[in-house]
Amino acid sequence: MAVLRATDVHLAYGPIRAVRGCTFHLDEGETVAIVGANGAGKTTLMRGLCGLLAPADGSIEVLGGPLAGRRPDELARDGLLHIPEGRGTISNLDVLDNLRLAYEIRPTTVGFEAAIEAVFARFPRLKERSDQRAGSLSGGEQQMLALARAIVNRPKVLLVDEPSLGLSPLMIGEVFRTLREFQEAGMSIMLVEQNVVKALKLAHRAYVLRQGEIVLEGKGGELAQKTEVLEAYLGSH
Amino acid sequence: MLAEQIANGVVVGGLYALVALGFTLVFGLLDKLNFAHGEVVTLAGFVALVAVQLGASVWLAIPIVIVVTGLSGLLIELLSFRAFTSKEGHSVSALSSFALGIVILEVVRLEYGAAPLNLAIPTTIYTSGISILGAPIPWVKLATLGISVVLMIGLHVVVGHTRLGRQIRAVGEAPTSAMLLGIHVTRVIQYVFVVASALAGISGLLIAMQGGFVSSEVGFTFALKGIAIMAIGGMGDLRGAVLAGLLIGIAEGIAIHYGLGGFSDVLVWLVMIAVLLIRPEGLLGGGRREVRA
Ligand SMILES: Nc1ncnc2c1ncn2[C@@H]1O[C@H](COP(=O)(O)OP(=O)(O)O)[C@@H](O)[C@H]1O
Ligand SMILES: [Mg+2]
Repeated sequence: MAVLRATDVHLAYGPIRAVRGCTFHLDEGETVAIVGANGAGKTTLMRGLCGLLAPADGSIEVLGGPLAGRRPDELARDGLLHIPEGRGTISNLDVLDNLRLAYEIRPTTVGFEAAIEAVFARFPRLKERSDQRAGSLSGGEQQMLALARAIVNRPKVLLVDEPSLGLSPLMIGEVFRTLREFQEAGMSIMLVEQNVVKALKLAHRAYVLRQGEIVLEGKGGELAQKTEVLEAYLGSH
Repeated sequence: MLAEQIANGVVVGGLYALVALGFTLVFGLLDKLNFAHGEVVTLAGFVALVAVQLGASVWLAIPIVIVVTGLSGLLIELLSFRAFTSKEGHSVSALSSFALGIVILEVVRLEYGAAPLNLAIPTTIYTSGISILGAPIPWVKLATLGISVVLMIGLHVVVGHTRLGRQIRAVGEAPTSAMLLGIHVTRVIQYVFVVASALAGISGLLIAMQGGFVSSEVGFTFALKGIAIMAIGGMGDLRGAVLAGLLIGIAEGIAIHYGLGGFSDVLVWLVMIAVLLIRPEGLLGGGRREVRA
């Protein structure tokens, strides 16, 4: 069953059509990667999926209903968490308050304390920094915090936009390990990445986006074999 | 005597701070000035007057004023802020809220004229009280100070330590990120306008209580100083507004003590110019748009 389905979607900034006629879906429990060169329209696509940018044309369904008319915050409360490019952490709130915000919109009966223990067990670093402003953390730690929000928030669908951007190889490994855990826990994940090799390895399926159009799709592993095709579409990877 | 004037200064400073907090909350959240804020202070006095004229006791008038002024915040947000989200929206909102403030003021004037009107307040709150360091402090001043302090602490706790406060700070810093976290941004903005306007309402009541009358002038006077105090304290910084309000109030009290009463209205502006020259971000401000408790 698809938790997310886009049909012939166009997304535009005024007269500029950044996404043109994309059709794709994300099944429950599936991890789908969207790869493409800089400026291909990946971030725009994510904005459309979370309700930040209304499609100029086409239709989107999320969590079993049409997206039209639903605000991003409503979708977030219904279980669609979008970790945007640049992470979306609140720099002036401390680590704990950032996690509280994510928890409070989808609270559980186990309580915040228990939820936070799971985060600290996974990311001991965040425990050490729990009372520090998110803005004072390193880029890697901020990305950990951004991902940790998904642990306390337990979304049904997670949209992640370039989580490995600007991180050290060590931290990139950590990011993908975390995503793998989310995947194993049954979360449906839509992942936008420039780190194509790692993304295709993690993803069940993938779409290649070029200049706003889907030019290639397939199983993650199969696409990963087509290095020449990928290179043609993505530039040097 | 000096102690008495300083005590007066603390009370007045507390009122300045309360008005400034309303400006500060909205500015910290939206990076926009709400020029209608001061006229909510005026409105409060006249709502109390009408309530009393309609037969309500002074005590019943208090919650009525809080509700009416709080709701006026929703109207201000809807008419002068909601629609103007773009970059140019800053000056449009400022102009629109300015116009809205004048509308409130003129409606009040049309109905009640420009002269101050008496509010039937029991005189014992002025004539009896306590004495601190030999300075007689009437109940009205004590109550004003007490209420101001409670409101300031309350606001600090709400903004710094509650779910709503976290959401307010998140929206103030990054509305889009806040929205992606499930925060109903418009709702949070509405809450802030209600709280800020209710604060203006309570300030208006307290100001009316000082002299036992209501006047259509108070809003303008207090709004101007409120804006100055916000700038001195640091745009968006709640503690800065309280600090600056008290400093200015006390400085005015001291000026009055030394026979410089006429000078006291210039004081705040001189201080503002000086502070901005030395620290453009204000005494406690971080120089960025955000609500800080
Ligand atoms: N806010 C915006 N206004 C106008 N054009 C934009 C905006 N954001 C992105 N674009 C344009 O849309 C295209 C796709 O951008 P984007 O979705 O950010 O690509 P990607 O995430 O794949 O790098 C680019 O040509 C970019 O210049
Ligand atoms: Mg992008």
